[in-house]
Amino acid sequence: MPRNMVAIRDFDDATYDPFASDEINFGDIRDPYPLIAEWRAAAPVLEGDYRPKMGLVSASYPDRKMFTVVGTAEILKALTDTEHFSNAGYKFNLGATFGDGSISTMDNPEHGRWRRIFQKIFLPQYVKSWGETIVDPVVRQLMDRFLDRGTADLVEEFTLLYPFEVIYRQLALPVSDVKTFQRLAIGQTDYMHWDKATEAGHKLGEYFVALIEDRRRNPGDDLVSLLANTEVEGEYLPELVLVSFLRQLMNAAGDTTYRGTSVLLTALLENPDQLDAIRRDRRLIPQAIEEALRWDGPVAVQLRMAATDVELGGVPIPAGSLLDVVAGAANRDPEVFANPDAFDIFRERRPHFSFSRGPHICVGQHLARVEMTRALHAVLDHLPNLRFDPDKPRPEIRGSMMRVPKHLHVRFDR
Amino acid sequence: MPLISVTTRSGDTHELDAEPGLSIMEVIRDAGFDELLALCGGCCSCATCHVKVDPAFAEALPTMSQDEDDLLDSSSHRDPSSRLSCQLIVTEALAGLRVTIAAED
Repeated sequence: MPRNMVAIRDFDDATYDPFASDEINFGDIRDPYPLIAEWRAAAPVLEGDYRPKMGLVSASYPDRKMFTVVGTAEILKALTDTEHFSNAGYKFNLGATFGDGSISTMDNPEHGRWRRIFQKIFLPQYVKSWGETIVDPVVRQLMDRFLDRGTADLVEEFTLLYPFEVIYRQLALPVSDVKTFQRLAIGQTDYMHWDKATEAGHKLGEYFVALIEDRRRNPGDDLVSLLANTEVEGEYLPELVLVSFLRQLMNAAGDTTYRGTSVLLTALLENPDQLDAIRRDRRLIPQAIEEALRWDGPVAVQLRMAATDVELGGVPIPAGSLLDVVAGAANRDPEVFANPDAFDIFRERRPHFSFSRGPHICVGQHLARVEMTRALHAVLDHLPNLRFDPDKPRPEIRGSMMRVPKHLHVRFDR
Repeated sequence: MPLISVTTRSGDTHELDAEPGLSIMEVIRDAGFDELLALCGGCCSCATCHVKVDPAFAEALPTMSQDEDDLLDSSSHRDPSSRLSCQLIVTEALAGLRVTIAAED
């Protein structure tokens, strides 16, 4: 069957713009960290959810108590003590759009049963080869479009595009489907327009079901073919698990890497001495990436649900309560990271919280590192004397749930 | 309670009481050695609790699962004595076990 027999359907309302809702979903606050530091100084666990504390509308959850966790020890406990803290809270948002087969909504042992299959595909020894076969060509193709110009918006023209292009190639999506696919994928997390988020989840679901069927008949060497033909104990992966995973991929692998790379490049341009140090010695790239992830990680908050009545940081938490676990608070804890608000690639290496901790630690973290590494190498290779464009506004990293600069205007020597 | 001996990356060796039923990772972490990161908390989902085990104890260790084997393959410091310490549960048979925390990847 030709690939184009798998039809993709756009939103019924063609005027809907899924890209326009970033601020109301994820916030546009310039610097949330002073506020978080104030909370941390007051108590490790606060009553109430994170969003209204940051000036956002609360997410729509069933009526229950909510807490915000900002103490590092308490954050670590909420993420690793799986006897008391469950991922089931994600059933209310991720589960509703990505599907209840999303492993982010599950607890062990069910979670581990499926995770191990995805985990294996994304181990460093396997994703390394994608760096050359997929990431480098994508990066090179995007850069070729602006190399002659000597100026660029590295967000609009590069970081916002390359992780998604990587996914389209991993999935071997027909080029003609890409535009609609991206609209649906972004629309899935437009939780403030619930009808659109669920419409996107539904339409991506029917698309993936057809794509899986197609790749079972005509397998290629892409990720959909690999997953569609993976068997566990003689059976295919359940369709719900497979489709949920594919739905989540754009958000988990695309959106986060776009944000992380944008922050990395912004931080290095704001600290030209550190960028120069990397130019002289590229062995510093891994620690630069880890520092960017610590300093302003893309995903500031994770959700957990109290599985039982439990006490956390001296606060009694009733079973069923939802907890906003603020990874960004641990990443800026002065007890853990000296002078935490400074971006310093030479700081003492300590593990950050930006890929979370515990059983749900980011399954794609090694691919994210490969992508960010290849992106930074390409910037160093092809954009000599890279600097801010003095005629354009400086980048501003914004957001309270998810962080990113909207633009990164640069100049470089041609 | 069995004693185990743990050598850190800087080469210092410490004797630790190891409570049967805990994992070697938990014993080392709970004793305050934060260079053993164990980021996933002990469910065989990362490779940051990598240790080298004295080959004399190879027979006493539980068999390695395919998942542990794959994860260890992600380390550039793997050798035949490599194990993930979260997968090694303390028993009396491990009394005197000697492990060295592997270099960080």
